[in-house]
Amino acid sequence: MNFSTQIFHLIKKEFILEWRQRYALSGILLYVLATVFIVYSSFVRVPDTAWNSTFWIIILFASVNAIAKSFIGESGNRTLYYYSLMNPYAVILSKMIYNTLLLLILCLLCYAAFSFIAGNPVQNTGLFYLILFLGGTGFSITFTFISAIAAKSKNNATLMAILSFPIIIPILMTLINLSANALGMIKNTAYTNDILILIAIDLILVGMALILFPFLWRD
Amino acid sequence: MKHWWKILGIFLMIYSIVAGIGIPLKPGIYDASPSKANTGEQFTMNAVGYLTQFDKTPDDLRAWLKVGNDFAIAANSIGVKNESTLNVSFQIPNNLPTKDRVVDASLIIDSKKNGYAIFPSAVFITNTTQQTSPEGWNNSIADMHEFKSMAFPYRNILQETIRNLFYHVPLWFGMMIIFLISAINSGRFLMTKNQKFDHKASAYASVGTLFGILGLVTGAIWAKHTWGAYWSWDIKQNMSAIAMLVYLAYFVLRNSFEESEQSARIGAVYNIFAFVTLPMLLFVIPRLTDSLHPGNGGNPGFGGEDLDNNMRMVFYPAIIGFTLFGAWMATILYRIEDVKQRIEDRAFYE
Repeated sequence: MNFSTQIFHLIKKEFILEWRQRYALSGILLYVLATVFIVYSSFVRVPDTAWNSTFWIIILFASVNAIAKSFIGESGNRTLYYYSLMNPYAVILSKMIYNTLLLLILCLLCYAAFSFIAGNPVQNTGLFYLILFLGGTGFSITFTFISAIAAKSKNNATLMAILSFPIIIPILMTLINLSANALGMIKNTAYTNDILILIAIDLILVGMALILFPFLWRD
Repeated sequence: MKHWWKILGIFLMIYSIVAGIGIPLKPGIYDASPSKANTGEQFTMNAVGYLTQFDKTPDDLRAWLKVGNDFAIAANSIGVKNESTLNVSFQIPNNLPTKDRVVDASLIIDSKKNGYAIFPSAVFITNTTQQTSPEGWNNSIADMHEFKSMAFPYRNILQETIRNLFYHVPLWFGMMIIFLISAINSGRFLMTKNQKFDHKASAYASVGTLFGILGLVTGAIWAKHTWGAYWSWDIKQNMSAIAMLVYLAYFVLRNSFEESEQSARIGAVYNIFAFVTLPMLLFVIPRLTDSLHPGNGGNPGFGGEDLDNNMRMVFYPAIIGFTLFGAWMATILYRIEDVKQRIEDRAFYE
């Protein structure tokens, strides 16, 4: 199998597994809806600043929950099976691509739920979708790689949080800054700079994850 | 002499502490009151100097109020109260040289012994007559004296805390270099699988974390004096604290594995990943928002008049000294770890 077919089959496998255990996916989606309701009932009228930060914090926690299982969920025997068949880069890339797609769905659902329940203060919708895409990608890259690290340990849920939260902060801060722009809270015409920073961070993290993963996966 | 660098490190550390604490500041103006004046009045202000010796040469004192870059008036009488207090009187002209209703004027005091000192925005002069003309505002500032002996610049607000440059900044420089060495050792461990490199990486990471925490503490003490609070939730402070969390997580990760090979390998992977995120936390993100920290948010960094040649002569050796000293601490930690490992191995085989 060449590299791209490996990635294709691995992503297909992720979708099939997800479809077979639908409770995981629906659990995450319900999680988003429930937290949005909690936010709404605690604020009643959500101010723009709170909208912006709670939106990203909900996405942050939902993505940690959604992605934490991506390596932890794999059983030891099946992992061994991949290792004998697959290229390590294909394994990590397929997980990242799948998780990005999952997070994009999650972001869109969160956005829809927020707009429906708490109102939609977004003024520059195109920019906001771009931010959602870049944010989803950044979260997916970081959390996928950290979950590969955390999966090696026994107390992986704690490790997932303490390892990933400090590292995700540059991405999260840039996202909140950018989406404040899209919400019209601050007028910063030079937001392309922030977008470039976000893309640069994403690329650096993907590069590091690809370089380091082969050392990580084989016990 | 294979220990030359340790001796050099100790020498530079001692030099930077002795010179950095011992060399005095240049004389400066600490306070001036009252800070409000009107045009056309005879205005007397009370200037308080820091480390000045006004009473030594009372006849050589000269003073000006300076508005903008081009206009100034000279004092018509200067009375010396004691070594650090002056009464300076000015006859303020009936008109202001600029169209503003209120201008701020800097107080400049020159003396043969102390050199010249500037107190920015000492007086706000209100134009009560509404006349604008440069008449009476002649720039007669000339023949300024320099302070002769070795001293660091006096800056308002900073005052004596300017010395923090020799300790706070080298700690962060040293931390970056030491974390870099740690990441390189992690890389070498992944390449060779030699436990020696892992022990080195963890030793350097410990010293780097110590430097980072000391950097936060020295920064907080400095911030108490200049910003008014130990912790003002400034972006630079927050991001540095988070950078420390990244490395504390590294130690938690290492300790969460029982098998030493696995702990070393996964620790090494995370260490390299963490080092890559470090510049983003410390340099990229603080540029996005406002910050009080020098060098961020439009504030001047070091350079210009805040870093003169006398300061450079202490600052650069301090960076090298702190880094070498940290590297020495790390080699000691590494050797302790190495000996522990050997004792364990011997116990295992017996």
